[in-house]
Amino acid sequence: MHTLYYLAAGPFAIAAFVLLAGGSLFRLVRMGLLARKKDPAVFDYMSARYGFRSLFHWLVPFGSRGMRLHPALTIASFLFHVCAIVAPVFLYAHVLLIDESWNIAWVHIPDGAADAMSLVVIAACVFFLVRRMKSPEVSYLSTWRDYAVLALVAAPFVTGLWSFHQFPGFRYAGIIHMLSGELLLASIPFTRLSHMIFFPITRAYMGSEFGAVRNARDW
Amino acid sequence: MSQVALKKETPVSDDGMLKGAAKLTPEKIRETVRKVLDGETGARLKTYAAMCARCGMCSDACHFCLSHDRDPAWSPAGKVKRTIWELVRTGGKVDAEFILDACRIAHTECNLCKRCAMYCPFGIDVAYMMLVMRRICHKLGVTPQYIQDTAHSHSATMNQMWVKEDEWIDSLQWQEDEAREEMPNLRIPIEKEGADIMYSVIGPEPKFRAQLIYQAAVILNASGVDWTMPGTPGWDNSDMCMYTGDNEMMGRLKRAHFDTAVRLRVSRIVMGECGHAFRSVHDMGNRWLGYRQPPVPVIHAVEFYHEILKQGRIKIAKKFEGPVTLHDPCNIVRGHGLHEMAREVVRLTCDELIEMHPNREHNYCCSAGGGVINCGPPFKTSRVVGNRVKAEQLFAAKARGAKTVVAPCHNCHGGLEDIIHHYGLGMDVKFLGDIIYSCMEKPE
Amino acid sequence: MKMKPKSILAFLALVLALLLAAGAVMSQEDVKSVNDPAFTSPTRPAPIFFHDAHNAKAGLDDCSVCHHVYEGGKKAEGASSEGQACSECHMKGKSTRPLIKAYHGMCRGCHEERKAGPVQCGECHSKRGPEALEGRGK
Repeated sequence: MHTLYYLAAGPFAIAAFVLLAGGSLFRLVRMGLLARKKDPAVFDYMSARYGFRSLFHWLVPFGSRGMRLHPALTIASFLFHVCAIVAPVFLYAHVLLIDESWNIAWVHIPDGAADAMSLVVIAACVFFLVRRMKSPEVSYLSTWRDYAVLALVAAPFVTGLWSFHQFPGFRYAGIIHMLSGELLLASIPFTRLSHMIFFPITRAYMGSEFGAVRNARDW
Repeated sequence: MSQVALKKETPVSDDGMLKGAAKLTPEKIRETVRKVLDGETGARLKTYAAMCARCGMCSDACHFCLSHDRDPAWSPAGKVKRTIWELVRTGGKVDAEFILDACRIAHTECNLCKRCAMYCPFGIDVAYMMLVMRRICHKLGVTPQYIQDTAHSHSATMNQMWVKEDEWIDSLQWQEDEAREEMPNLRIPIEKEGADIMYSVIGPEPKFRAQLIYQAAVILNASGVDWTMPGTPGWDNSDMCMYTGDNEMMGRLKRAHFDTAVRLRVSRIVMGECGHAFRSVHDMGNRWLGYRQPPVPVIHAVEFYHEILKQGRIKIAKKFEGPVTLHDPCNIVRGHGLHEMAREVVRLTCDELIEMHPNREHNYCCSAGGGVINCGPPFKTSRVVGNRVKAEQLFAAKARGAKTVVAPCHNCHGGLEDIIHHYGLGMDVKFLGDIIYSCMEKPE
Repeated sequence: MKMKPKSILAFLALVLALLLAAGAVMSQEDVKSVNDPAFTSPTRPAPIFFHDAHNAKAGLDDCSVCHHVYEGGKKAEGASSEGQACSECHMKGKSTRPLIKAYHGMCRGCHEERKAGPVQCGECHSKRGPEALEGRGK
């Protein structure tokens, strides 16, 4: 147990952060260079004004017609994304651990709020899972990877809650929490979760094409 | 996991595709797929393939999907899954059967209308991926024969309809003669250097819709602008090669068109009511040639009508009777935001406009564009049956009184006529030019 | 001079009885948790800590290992700080953060180093309280 803890708290944690930051940077730079070579128009048409205009409409709940057609999915998605980012980044225990390790600290949210947010994330994951299985237009497109990614996202939140509330076996849950969280961070640049880094770019590009070239809205 | 019962595919009956596919070998397929994927595509395709979250939100965008009761195989992502993703996943290790299927999907079951880019949260450009698929099919020699014939015509004659140079000039003079009966001083100035406007049309106009040239000549003469039409190849602004993945020919066609305008030293090109040609000159062909925007300003007919009506260059004698509804063509609305201008032209020329819903950028495609109608009779049923939502949308507008559908695009025209006929909607389809011509004050 | 835990308990019980009998209240009761009054509004349960049992198990005889004194940035050898509140040195302002870091560094740091003892949050900040865990660490 101790050995696993040391690995999870030490080298694995460092590796996860390095893979997240380095991997994201690597993917972005590589795609950027490839775009320069093969899709130079991307740079020519990219426009700050129309890019941000599109991002704005897609980052506001119900800002696009597609979102308005699916209110449940829209609410679940926005809650999920906000909670899945805010809860772990501003959880007091995480802030403290980072402060203790590297003397870097930022604001934190009350534990109760983080608790509620984790529940929201888990509930949203269940919603996504049911939708992926039951809705033909989603299940048709789904492969084992999509289910794996969903499980990977849910795991740290389930085990985090488990560990926080000290349910039976919470020591094991704590270790799994650390390991799954690290796996999640490390896999962001290399799986479909890479939409985290590419979304702003592809959306801004489509916004630029629609706005600057086509004089039209894309939401 | 619930897996839906997918529609039974009707076997491809297109000779061009079948004969092309018969010549394929696994090695040839693999090599060609690799060449296109590695050599011609890059960051966009890779990013799109990597990030798509398989959320299914694009299903709402596609008229094919909506018309097939949301059968996911017809959704934009579903079609990508059945074409490009599979090629990316297998590195091109697919058989001729797959290519045949992928060709049918990319060529005849997607209109490249880009509506899905407005429904995908990430802004993934499915039309771009379908064009990559068509490009691969083109390089493999598997393309529906009707559209391939137009592409052949483009490369042999620089126009879409095998119109010879003398036939072209003859057609213009014939229409000039006809129109002079009505407007004795009318001219169709050919090869007038230094004119303000070069008026360009698509190949099918001289071939079988010559009255559109007649109407345009009346409108242009009445508005008193300084205009000309080229007497050489380069007069045709259409571009089926853009849709068959023959990018090299697309570039040659656009260069010929722009060069003709430059040779005639005109200050701008005004083009007829065509959607795909507009896409080819201001979006795709210019890019291929390395122009960010077209080297000569290109004005679509809708913009031109708006200009001459607003400037009072032509007057409306009596507005068009009976409520009309307006179909927003993808290539000039999602493609160039001309929806408000088109509405203004309709309001200036028609009694009453009844909106169809959804409209503007969200309008449903006619299911003819993107080269689909050009794939000809073998695929007509599929495109008409695959656009039931359009019929429903038109019917709803009709129920509120609309008698005429205004569609400022040739392909939309053809597509909507087929839909109206198939579903028995009993509506008329008109170009804006038809309406302006019939309602304007014609000088003696 | 190792003493058996039982005899420690017996000794302590005797002392406690004597003190109570004398009516004098002294601070030398058995420490069961780190209940530092510097934390006026704690967000987690006070860490379970059976002082004497812990030290016996960890083989800690030298009080200054934990109750250290730093002078000029260096640990003062031989000096120890029992009876002094940790917060005296580790909490300069109103923020309890330095004090938390000192505690975590002291406890978890040593546990990590020795690969022994609790390291996860819930292992010390137990919701069940010291009574439920009485005898565990022995």
